Amino acid sequence: MAQEIAARPAATPAARGEDAHGGVGVTNTKLGMWLFLSSDCLFFGAFISAFLLYRGRDQAGPKPSDVFDIPFTSATSFILLMSSLTMVLALAAIQRGDHRRVRIWLLATALFGATFIGGQIFEFTEFSREGLKLDTNLFGSSFFVLTGLHGAHVTAGIVWLLSLWGLSLQGLLPTENAEKVEVAGLYWHFVDVVWIVIFTLVYLMPT
Amino acid sequence: MSDEVAPESGSSIAEKVEGEVEKVEGELEAAEHEVEEHLPEGAVTPAPGLLPGELYPHPSPFRYVMIAVILVVVTALEVSVSYLEGSIADGLIVFLLVVMAIVKFGLVASWYMHLRTDKPIFRNFFVLGIVAAIILYFVVLLTLHVFS
Repeated sequence: MAQEIAARPAATPAARGEDAHGGVGVTNTKLGMWLFLSSDCLFFGAFISAFLLYRGRDQAGPKPSDVFDIPFTSATSFILLMSSLTMVLALAAIQRGDHRRVRIWLLATALFGATFIGGQIFEFTEFSREGLKLDTNLFGSSFFVLTGLHGAHVTAGIVWLLSLWGLSLQGLLPTENAEKVEVAGLYWHFVDVVWIVIFTLVYLMPT
Repeated sequence: MSDEVAPESGSSIAEKVEGEVEKVEGELEAAEHEVEEHLPEGAVTPAPGLLPGELYPHPSPFRYVMIAVILVVVTALEVSVSYLEGSIADGLIVFLLVVMAIVKFGLVASWYMHLRTDKPIFRNFFVLGIVAAIILYFVVLLTLHVFS
């Protein structure tokens, strides 16, 4: 038996999915971002569950059908979806060394994100005018906390994108640092996929 | 003989919607090949080199745009289906909306987050988080009788 094992050729690092140094061939930055995103699934899951739990249990105050403006929210959702496109185009541009286009696409992504946040602020203001506030009823509490936390994530993403844009403007974002754009992109796309779930479960589902 | 038209069953509407989605996808693929022939090389070829953790090159910018077009079409279908409330069974609306949200989620995660071209370790971590969240909160909602 021992002879059989000894006779087998040793698996190469590549065959084991490892690099030449015995690592798994991925950077800490990217792996760390994916771990963060994985944990963020549980974070948003908690607030989405709370929304579903409290859905339809209110005795007083405005209901979702009284305040939601589906065409308006569809338009802002479309803008956020398009920001994911401009984000991957920024990554494609930096990989090609086209730094002018990197700045254009990063700025476009940040502007799309800011437009989405502007739409959310407008929506919150309208809801407040119609009598729906954080402490009005269960719907108000769960809705504002869930969408507000998502908005906070988008805002953090905008700051990140503008920082990268500023670095690129100063010539501090060379092609070798394309991973910085990729990791920011992972965060941005995650914010987008979370909105895909929120838009469907919160806005479009029958009440 | 009655002139009344028998109401369409939920499954036949679902089949029609799925058929429409497949038809649109087929048309988009054909249009994609046609447009690709007239685009500059930089728009249809993947970026050179691999980033850390990548197994295959990223898609071309043109492919990214095509994915965005599919996302917009599916979003438009989603919003249209939500307006069918009262016309078709709520259960069918829920089913269609969930399927379309999963399609959109999958497209963004696999093409824009590059899970289809990156090492499987990233996908495994992400799927772990999603599955853990679904199981955990499903059990919580079940114990609180949300589905009863």
